[in-house]
Amino acid sequence: MNQAEQANFIVRKNDPILITGATGFIGSRLVENLLDRGFCNLRCLCRPTSEVTRLEELSGFYRGGVRVEVVRGNLLSRKDCTAAMEDVAVVFHLATGRDARSFPDAFMNSVITTRNLLEASKQHDCLKRFVNVSSFTVYANKQNPRRRLLDETCPIEGDGRLRSDAYCFAKIKQEEIVAEYNRRIGIPYVTVRPGYVYGPGHETITNRVGIDTFGFFLHLGGSNTIPFTYVENCAEAIALAGLIEGIDGEVFNIVDDDLPSSSLFLRLYKRDVKHFRSLYVPHAASYALCYLWERYSEWSRGQVPPVFNCSKWHAFWKKTRYSNERLKMRLGWKPKISTEEGLRRYFESCRNGKGHA
Amino acid sequence: MLKVAIVGCGKIADVHASQIQRIGGCKIVGVCDKEPLMARQLWERFPVERHYGELAELLSEARPDVVHITTPPQSHFDIARFCLEWGCHVYVEKPFTLRAQEAEVLIALANERGLKLTAGHDDQFSNVARRMRRLVQNGYLGGPAVHMESYFCYDLGNPTYARAFLGDKYHWVRNLPGKLLHNIISHGIARLAEFLTSESPQVMAYGFVSPFLKSLGGNEIIDELRVIVSEEDGTTAYFTFSSQMRPLLHQFRIYGPANGLILDQDHETLIKLRGTKLKSYLEQFVPPVVFARQHLKNVAMNVRAFLARELRMSAGMSYLIESFYRSINEGTPPPIPYREILLTARIMESIFHQICANLPREHIQIQPQSTLSAD
Repeated sequence: MNQAEQANFIVRKNDPILITGATGFIGSRLVENLLDRGFCNLRCLCRPTSEVTRLEELSGFYRGGVRVEVVRGNLLSRKDCTAAMEDVAVVFHLATGRDARSFPDAFMNSVITTRNLLEASKQHDCLKRFVNVSSFTVYANKQNPRRRLLDETCPIEGDGRLRSDAYCFAKIKQEEIVAEYNRRIGIPYVTVRPGYVYGPGHETITNRVGIDTFGFFLHLGGSNTIPFTYVENCAEAIALAGLIEGIDGEVFNIVDDDLPSSSLFLRLYKRDVKHFRSLYVPHAASYALCYLWERYSEWSRGQVPPVFNCSKWHAFWKKTRYSNERLKMRLGWKPKISTEEGLRRYFESCRNGKGHA
Repeated sequence: MLKVAIVGCGKIADVHASQIQRIGGCKIVGVCDKEPLMARQLWERFPVERHYGELAELLSEARPDVVHITTPPQSHFDIARFCLEWGCHVYVEKPFTLRAQEAEVLIALANERGLKLTAGHDDQFSNVARRMRRLVQNGYLGGPAVHMESYFCYDLGNPTYARAFLGDKYHWVRNLPGKLLHNIISHGIARLAEFLTSESPQVMAYGFVSPFLKSLGGNEIIDELRVIVSEEDGTTAYFTFSSQMRPLLHQFRIYGPANGLILDQDHETLIKLRGTKLKSYLEQFVPPVVFARQHLKNVAMNVRAFLARELRMSAGMSYLIESFYRSINEGTPPPIPYREILLTARIMESIFHQICANLPREHIQIQPQSTLSAD
């Protein structure tokens, strides 16, 4: 970390930084990013059963006064949160509930956990920034005409339950509670909304490209741009969102440059990883499927859950372009890894069988 | 209009709320959770009048006629007793209580106050379970059950769930007397209890930790269970719980002196097993055709139910809730006889007494027979 860069940061390199979800896909890269920047007092709140070997290795690798403290605990425990938040200057809150089916579970593991951290920060009163890691999933993308750009000014889903997506509902509520604590007691925060984070260690094909719900792959993305962000680029953006001064209360979308279309991605995947059959569903047909499914679900009083619905179509499969201008302008972010290189690494990881589509 | 409240706003409360809102003549006047945000999120997503963080506040302000208790099982007894004392009818999610004695206290209290209770044994009210019950009541078995087999499997294949409670030493499942089994096996045991006649069957249980769970570090959590139940009049039953066998069965087989029945919960099928044999080679040719015909008939019934919007995942719960409310409104007996609730609790208690008392020992345990007390 050079002097000029550090001058713009709200924390010194010895200030305690808390990372939740530090053993996760993005969290582990974020820890490395912060260590690379010279921050040497990191605290990682991990579940008692989380694999922390990598974190311990990092601690050993950087040495020289670097402290990567692993705190075992549960974010649902206020006591654990209070202990973890002690003296913390910046929180990177990445841990979340990923269950898209159960609303209470997703809510509990996203909102209750966030509330516990915010309450704990209130007690210690030394927090300079709470970095709330949200998701692209919160955008409604309904009012935007086709091909219109989706940026941070676009409206988020007004009624998260209508999409029948518990993760979306929980993330909206998580953003709300962070904003509420800011209004009520002035906890400074920044929200980041990553697109689809990909890279070695997360080899599934995003639903934005297609789904295999019915036993074969339905390609729904077509010529849509997929809002990819390579995991290290994403970690870089999150790190900057926690460090740069003068951005409190702002929201940042995280997507890379030179994003591929869904068709191109699928073609490359089939070429470089494995071939499989897919059926392209034109946009009009996918919209009709979602519309009819939603209507039938309503008419049958939930005999089939409304997993396909118009809100979801708008959010996932409507033709949209994405912007990372604010990220570049306000944070000085630029992707460390090009999309071409990111995809190459991702496909290689898929080929090596670390994951599957 | 029956006023309904839900206490405990976790995963299963969603299912209750969505089923209650289908039923006419009732409304959800309040939901409550000791974590107010959880109560609030349920209130936001369903047509519910108010949300509360305190049970006493819910009962005094919303004045519900019926309370659904969907909290972790450790609190079922205290909350149910509190609600009964307030004069509410109570629907308690499974497992009804942690101990059989607590079930007895609740039933006695409900009887004393002229209130009604039911347990969340909703699998017994699925479309296919009701078809089976009608056949048994019409004498298809040819007499009382001779033998039963109940299979109830649970998929831990996705380690997410297993890791959730393995990773959390305070997870409520860990603190149940029967741990994981306590939260899951009620449905399978209740099926047996329905057709057992005595109050004190003998129970032999044998449980162990599967290699899969051991690999995740769950050495003290039993996820494989085999049980033999026998009554003095000769009726016997097997119960199998497994997280590892495939297919993951949810099946019930009942054999009488004349005929038998096989209920498959997952496929929503009911197959009749005729006790009479055909002559000579006909036995090899005719029964397969008869079975094929029965399976086709099951397909037709399921299609008909689907078209009639009755093939829902929680059709059993919907029917049970509706029956319970009807019993309250009309003063008729509750849908699940108290005898069955008690017997289920007693059998479970005996199982956990046998398998959990010996957990430190590594593997197979065959216990001496224990007789359940009817008192």
